[in-house]
Amino acid sequence: MSRIGVFICHCGENISRTVDVERVAAQVGNMPGVAFATDYKYMCSDPGQTLLKKTIQEQKLSHVVVAACSPRMHEKTFRKAVESAGLNPFLCEMANIREHCSWVHENREEATVKAIEIVGMMVERVKKNRVLPAITVPVTKRSLVIGGGIAGIQAALDIADCGHEVILVEREPSIGGHMAQLSETFPTLDCSQCIMTPKMVDVANHPKIKLYTFSEIELVEGYIGNFQVTIKKKARSVDEDTCTGCGVCMTKCPQKKIPNKFDQNIGMRTAIYVPFPQAVPNTPVIDRDNCTWFKSGKCGVCQKVCGPGAVDFEQQDRLIVEAVGAIVVATGFDLYTIDEKPKGSPIKGYGEFGHGKIPDVIDGMTFERLASASGPTGGRILRPSDGKEPKQIVFIQCIGSRAREKGISYCSKVCCMYTAKHTMLYHHKVHDGQAYVFFMDARTPGKSYDEFWRRSIEEEEAVYIRGMVSRLYQKGDKIVVMGSDIAVGVQVEIEADMVVLATAVMPQKGADTLAQKLGISYDKYHFYSEAHAKLRPVECATAGIYLAGACQGPKDIPETVSQASAAAAKVMTLFSKDKMEREPIVARVREAGCVGCFACKKVCAYGAVEEKEIRDRQGNLIKVVAYVNPGVCGGCGTCQATCPSKSVELDGYTDEQIVAMIEAL
Amino acid sequence: MAFVLRALANGSDGVFIGGCWLGECHYVTEGNYDALSMMHLTRKVLELIGVNPGRLRLEWISGSEGMRYAEVMNDFGRQLKGFGPIGEGEGLDRTALKLKFLAVKKILPYLKLVERERLRVRFKTEEEYDNYFGSDEVNSLIRELVGEKLAISQITTLLATSPLSTREISDSLRIKPAEVSRHLNSAARQGLVRYDESQKRYAIA
Repeated sequence: MSRIGVFICHCGENISRTVDVERVAAQVGNMPGVAFATDYKYMCSDPGQTLLKKTIQEQKLSHVVVAACSPRMHEKTFRKAVESAGLNPFLCEMANIREHCSWVHENREEATVKAIEIVGMMVERVKKNRVLPAITVPVTKRSLVIGGGIAGIQAALDIADCGHEVILVEREPSIGGHMAQLSETFPTLDCSQCIMTPKMVDVANHPKIKLYTFSEIELVEGYIGNFQVTIKKKARSVDEDTCTGCGVCMTKCPQKKIPNKFDQNIGMRTAIYVPFPQAVPNTPVIDRDNCTWFKSGKCGVCQKVCGPGAVDFEQQDRLIVEAVGAIVVATGFDLYTIDEKPKGSPIKGYGEFGHGKIPDVIDGMTFERLASASGPTGGRILRPSDGKEPKQIVFIQCIGSRAREKGISYCSKVCCMYTAKHTMLYHHKVHDGQAYVFFMDARTPGKSYDEFWRRSIEEEEAVYIRGMVSRLYQKGDKIVVMGSDIAVGVQVEIEADMVVLATAVMPQKGADTLAQKLGISYDKYHFYSEAHAKLRPVECATAGIYLAGACQGPKDIPETVSQASAAAAKVMTLFSKDKMEREPIVARVREAGCVGCFACKKVCAYGAVEEKEIRDRQGNLIKVVAYVNPGVCGGCGTCQATCPSKSVELDGYTDEQIVAMIEAL
Repeated sequence: MAFVLRALANGSDGVFIGGCWLGECHYVTEGNYDALSMMHLTRKVLELIGVNPGRLRLEWISGSEGMRYAEVMNDFGRQLKGFGPIGEGEGLDRTALKLKFLAVKKILPYLKLVERERLRVRFKTEEEYDNYFGSDEVNSLIRELVGEKLAISQITTLLATSPLSTREISDSLRIKPAEVSRHLNSAARQGLVRYDESQKRYAIA
């Protein structure tokens, strides 16, 4: 006979406000098999856990049910406590009477009855729980970092500095990401390149970092501690080991008028190119769509002039498989483009702002390239249309961000600060110019941030107009910006030479596809979801995968770097042990019932089902049955659902347990 | 399917299945595609025994979509209230309902076989599943393979309690008398039932 202990948590007032916990304890105490039932203010607290442990020993409990919050929150906590009291942790179950009951109901009577039913189900279930021995698996102490922006670079360097190998994968031909594109950074105005490029070089030179640029993740298999990742290394057409980075090929390439994505398409590049002079690796790549050789089979100048003979037109995409134990996802952000509404996207465009139609209406990142000393204009602010210096410039905030009616309700966080920086850069470069900013509110939380924003108004003479722009249109070579100043209550019309839009920060394109490969969850905007918004901000709900930077939500550089280092710390925590314990939730075959049809083997995507021969003492073959290798089993339960003779059971989720729950209802 | 039917047979007014979005399964097996197939098949079975198939609902809700979960559950709750208690909403009394679920339970291993041999499909989108399970081809397949078997299973389950006439069977199961006698004929051919001359009633063979 089981001696079940049931502990009902008040969760402060979170549960006890709508659920009569004392009544639940009294009723549950009378259920068959329950030896002890009580309620307590905070079960997860130290005294709560002590109560649990003490009662297990005093009452000689055989099973435990903790009725409290979601098992996602505290299952580990209580199972650990139960284990320290000498019981197998899998003899403890949680009944969720917070998220599934008290939080969603108002009627105290009904909520109490429901809570009793929920606890009753778990009591019946726990009776069928079996002792499950822990499974230990080795940890591969290598990690994969996806994305070579500042987040990926920081995470890779931190992990590699601890002596663990890092595979850094970047989609573009060079690492550096968006930070390498920036001119100067707020709130100190230090040059982005000056602080970024040394880190890029550190990555390239680090003996523990293996860098794959111009590469993408093709497939991810395995689980925490034991992932197998297939990386597609796209054909660069230039041999990385032979190339010296002399750059002769680029000077000789006849295709010179290809818009450079790194310069937001306002600068030009050749068909064989490095995206920017400080690129790492400093190995060019041939853009096959625009190369004369690949289009017509003629030219081949780069191959002829290349001294070391590194140009290889025959190069093919290669698939490389790497084994890693942890993955850091740092794929970063992209800017909201206004002129197009992606197919199937709920996000509406901003046609009224003429972005993409009026050449001198640009986005914030394009302004960065104009202001950058290494940019296409050498750091001079010039109009893309005619190369003239704009004397009146208008910045418009919150383009896309915080516009619920357009489909994005979040704040992009960095725009207020970077626009303040833009007005300063503009004032430093165009002394007789005037900057106007249309804004909703200025959001400047952060160390020295508000002071910086104040400075842009008080010292750098930017005019801030509170209100939104209703319309803008081209008139001659000017852009007429019409808006309202809601602080004064008047309509404003400015004839500007250039307009800069602070467009919303969005996840990289393809973020959803990557998430599906990794098996991590994301929100409706495709930002990746962390395991817990407050307490586990850098971990994914999928074990062994960590998040860094703007792929999780809009972030500025200091925040991104902090999160990257935090993710690296989490990886190191995992790597601090040679073996880790895995949940013993694996399938098990009841050999007596197995008829050897191997339907389970057909559906097992993990390849965990093997054939096992059963012989009698004389060594005669009796039958061949299925055997599930617990080290390989992923615990998905598909075999259990498939087995025609009900001979496979998933430990922890057996038919017996689930039927017991249904019957208790 | 066994779990869903057991819950309904026990008097639950509805069963909700929540899962991760297609293509987002945490496991490489992508079992949510199988669940979708199973849901369609279970709904067909419910329809065959005269239970509102709307009592089974499947929605994709990922772990981070708490709001959506709440919305869906409230909506499903409202829907079920509209249907009324199980059985009552369908005009079936408690014993008839129990009997019908028992009849399905008996042929579960057979249904599993049908699913595995004839209906195991893998599409990419939900729409394709809807189209497939809504197609005449699948519907006639289910009518032929499952409908017949299920009707006979219901009749034999009923006859196990006491011998009955065609009319009585038709009344308790709400199957047309003509269909009842057709099923009785084939059941008799299979040796499952016999006509008891003395009582002028059908009985278990």
